[in-house]
Amino acid sequence: MARKITYQQAINEALDQEMARDPSVIVMGEDNAGGEGSPGEMDAWGGVLGVTKGLYHKHPGRVLDTPISESGFIGAAIGAACNGLRPVAELMFVDFMGVCFDQIFNQAAKFKYMFGGKAETPVVIRTMYGAGFRAAAQHSQCLYSLFTHIPGLKVAIPSNPYDAKGLLIQSIRDNDPVIFMEHKVLYTMEGDVPEESYSVPFGEAAVVREGDDVTIVALGRMVSFAQDAAQALQKNGIHCEIIDPRTTSPLDEDTILESVEKTGRLVVVDESNPRCSMASDIAGLVAQKAFGALKAPIEQVTAPHVPPPFSDALEDLYIPNAAKIESAVSKIREYG
Amino acid sequence: MVKSGGITVGVIANPASGRDIRRLTAKASVFSMSEKANMVQRLLGPLGTFAVDRVLMMPDATGIAAAVLRAVQANEAQGRTVWPRVEFVTQELVGGAVDSQTAARLMQDAGAKLIVVLGGDGTHRVVAAAVPDMPLATLSTGTNNVFPDWREATVTGIATALYVTGSVGADIALQRNKRLCVQLGERTETALVDVCVTRLTHVGARAIWEPDTIAELYVAFAEPDAIGLSSIAAMFQLIARDEPRGAYLRCAPNGRQVLAAIAPGVLERIVVDHFENMVPGVTYPVRTKRGSIALDGEREIEFHHGQVPQISLMLNGPPTLNVTATLAAAVNSGVMVDPVVRSVVR
Amino acid sequence: MSDTLNRERLLRAYRTMRTIREFEERVHTEFATGDIPGFVHLYAGEEASATGVCMHLRGDDYIASTHRGHGHCIAKGVDPVGMMAEIWGKSTGSCKGKGGSMHIADLSKGMLGANGIVGGGGPLICGTALAAKMKNDKTVGVCFFGDGASNQGTILEAMNLATVWSLPAIFVAENNGYAETTSSSWSVACDNIADRASAFGMPGVIVDGFDFFAVHEAAGEAVRRAREGGGPTLIEVKVSRYYGHFEGDQQTYRAAGEVQKLRDEKDCLLQFRRRVTADGDITDAELGTIDAEVLALIDDSVVRAKADPKPGPDDLLTDVYVSY
Ligand SMILES: Cc1ncc(C[n+]2csc(CCOP(=O)(O)OP(=O)(O)O)c2C)c(N)n1
Ligand SMILES: [Mg+2]
Repeated sequence: MARKITYQQAINEALDQEMARDPSVIVMGEDNAGGEGSPGEMDAWGGVLGVTKGLYHKHPGRVLDTPISESGFIGAAIGAACNGLRPVAELMFVDFMGVCFDQIFNQAAKFKYMFGGKAETPVVIRTMYGAGFRAAAQHSQCLYSLFTHIPGLKVAIPSNPYDAKGLLIQSIRDNDPVIFMEHKVLYTMEGDVPEESYSVPFGEAAVVREGDDVTIVALGRMVSFAQDAAQALQKNGIHCEIIDPRTTSPLDEDTILESVEKTGRLVVVDESNPRCSMASDIAGLVAQKAFGALKAPIEQVTAPHVPPPFSDALEDLYIPNAAKIESAVSKIREYG
Repeated sequence: MVKSGGITVGVIANPASGRDIRRLTAKASVFSMSEKANMVQRLLGPLGTFAVDRVLMMPDATGIAAAVLRAVQANEAQGRTVWPRVEFVTQELVGGAVDSQTAARLMQDAGAKLIVVLGGDGTHRVVAAAVPDMPLATLSTGTNNVFPDWREATVTGIATALYVTGSVGADIALQRNKRLCVQLGERTETALVDVCVTRLTHVGARAIWEPDTIAELYVAFAEPDAIGLSSIAAMFQLIARDEPRGAYLRCAPNGRQVLAAIAPGVLERIVVDHFENMVPGVTYPVRTKRGSIALDGEREIEFHHGQVPQISLMLNGPPTLNVTATLAAAVNSGVMVDPVVRSVVR
Repeated sequence: MSDTLNRERLLRAYRTMRTIREFEERVHTEFATGDIPGFVHLYAGEEASATGVCMHLRGDDYIASTHRGHGHCIAKGVDPVGMMAEIWGKSTGSCKGKGGSMHIADLSKGMLGANGIVGGGGPLICGTALAAKMKNDKTVGVCFFGDGASNQGTILEAMNLATVWSLPAIFVAENNGYAETTSSSWSVACDNIADRASAFGMPGVIVDGFDFFAVHEAAGEAVRRAREGGGPTLIEVKVSRYYGHFEGDQQTYRAAGEVQKLRDEKDCLLQFRRRVTADGDITDAELGTIDAEVLALIDDSVVRAKADPKPGPDDLLTDVYVSY
């Protein structure tokens, strides 16, 4: 039975159901149990924005607070995954990957290949990304392309509550390390989510909207902006097809290529900085594999090549929006 | 806490360590909480073996109590030695010296025959002030102390047990100490070793390490091999712990110089222009007009123009356990050969 | 004798602490109106720490700060007017509105920045101290960090490095009992952060962070040692924050009445006032004048911050080495 819940509730529910189903699933992160050693209430926070709140009392002993030692506890989650647990570790803001990246990309990502296929590392690293909170340069970045670059990691980027729940359940059941990217602005987004447990498979893009004129590939929070743009463009008779890859590793190339074969035009919308981004990666893919179908140059709508600024006046300019997507679409429509 | 807990010993391990700025200004040793917890464990073995029934401890928030509890469980699990029953007195912790004082009073009420104090001069001073007639076994935690014994806890544990179980009497096991009393208006404070009047107007970081800040010094005893301010007096005259006199001296630029080890690693030139013996019971008014007063090396009291602190030497300081004399007496009386001890029933 | 606290210095200390308090109390009330964007972490309650340490510093000494950085900035001489504008995201702000509360910096004042990354400042201060040592300019570097940060690898690596290179660095651990909701008595595995110093071959000492005089004296020794080439020191300042981790925090993890008790019994400003006026050298009236001047300054900073212009579109792409 589906009912409306938020993206944040959907994540909490996925964790709750998986913890109930599988005793090897544990949750850890800064303030995830929320108040370890403090005189007041336990479960006071449930992570900085309350995503894990409530799990502490429901699953005694399996929701752990950690000291602020990301290298230590993210690495420990990886080690525990090697030894039979399925840890879901929370890296509060993805920007903090800077202090623990070795454990992720030199350790977790490499084990299976480097050890000749003999290792399995079923760890999930949940992390919050994205601009919009006026949280400035060290709390607003959009770093999924860095993880996508590393062989051995899987990367999920849910754009709505339904996918958030299904992709997280899939991530926990997956036997490889998964980076699960949660956009902080989406936490309050509501959507239909089934009560029962289900999973969304990796490497299967969602065709969010069908159309014949232009393909828009959008990620995470950008999907809803693409929908707004498509809605507006529809009025001018432009029919956009919107594709949400949902996971960037693995990436569902076929769905993207098939759509471009049909429309001949591509706009990629990515909240991250433009160089070495998912936008440039997908543009490259299409240029290489669907060159013959292209009727116009590919457009990329991204943040500019600067760190996220603090001031609302600047941050609003920084984040891609529906208007920018519309003008990108219009531009390549005019191109013959 | 019941009185009928059998033969009971209190243990107070000062949790407030590390505040001694001499770690920074001098080369004072660092004494960790884990080491204090280890010392308590080294006490428990001999206490249990020599038939002490119960140990009362102060709870603390810094981990000594927790470490001891873990050790008690581990000891029971391994079943190698008999430890006394370890109980914690029930008190609300407020932080600071008051906690040690509350614990000491509760231990006294619960029938403790002696309290083992692990700490520096300051901890011994506050415990002695709270339970003035309670025998104390003193253990120094750190190199920076004069009053407590600098001794292995295991041995102190043996002597403690011999005294509290009655194998060695109080006349031999205990010695009386002197104390210095500071009166400022309504406020009365005690020091066990020395009272230093400094020119520093604020209590600040408490310790004293710069010689030109010292104005006046009062000592209950003076041993030249001691560390700290009392050693200044000892350079002029030795005063034993059991002699009925103390010393008063004043610093001024035109006096006689001595070199004294006023803190670990700090050997300083001190210029003294007046030295006299203190007579017990006589009140000595402080001459300095304004400054702060250090009790056993730590500035505790600020005083201002118009206030005249009064210092006096008293002979009724705390009774302390003389470990050497106790063990010697036990040996001489033959109880150390084929001793009656408790051992684990396997 | 280490820096004596004469009248002039006592008044200066009071003014700094009062400015920090007034600034923070004001940001607290303004935040509640919804006007201030982003994450804001207030330093109220901890004023004696920044002030007691920074009183010993020269303009060209460096400090590295934390997400809770307003107090460090003010104590190091950063202009509160520019800071307030920065917090409001205005182009007149210390960082032109690009950094915000968590990133206020003023290199001209030796303030290397508040920091959004917990533990980020430790290595940086080793760097400024290394430069100071190589230039032999007798400057020092101070790294402020929290109890939470004390568990971060960067801080531990930095302390080791500081001793290995014998750097003129001072590590000031501001232990306010919590990292977000998590108690430091739980997260710091040894009893005191200061105890870790010996493992890094440097002296470590604990001071009462409500007591300006205690902080001032300990810091004075540490700074002197560092300047004279004696190497690094770790000072653990035991303090408390009066407000939540950040603005909006309900603080249910704290004990009821915890903050009120501290405000009533230990507050650094009240304690300072009581102690310096006891001798009549400094009068209540003099301190009252400072209070009024500080209030006027902070009022003015808020009025200006509200009225000042926001950055414009052109500012988005400036100040980066390469932009597209
Ligand atoms: C590397 C990193 N991890 C986590 C955070 C999130 N965070 C910000 S402040 C904070 C708590 C810091 O505690 P502490 O160091 O004690 O400083 P306090 O907030 O008490 O001043 C945390 C976990 C961060 N900003 N950076
Ligand atoms: Mg803290």
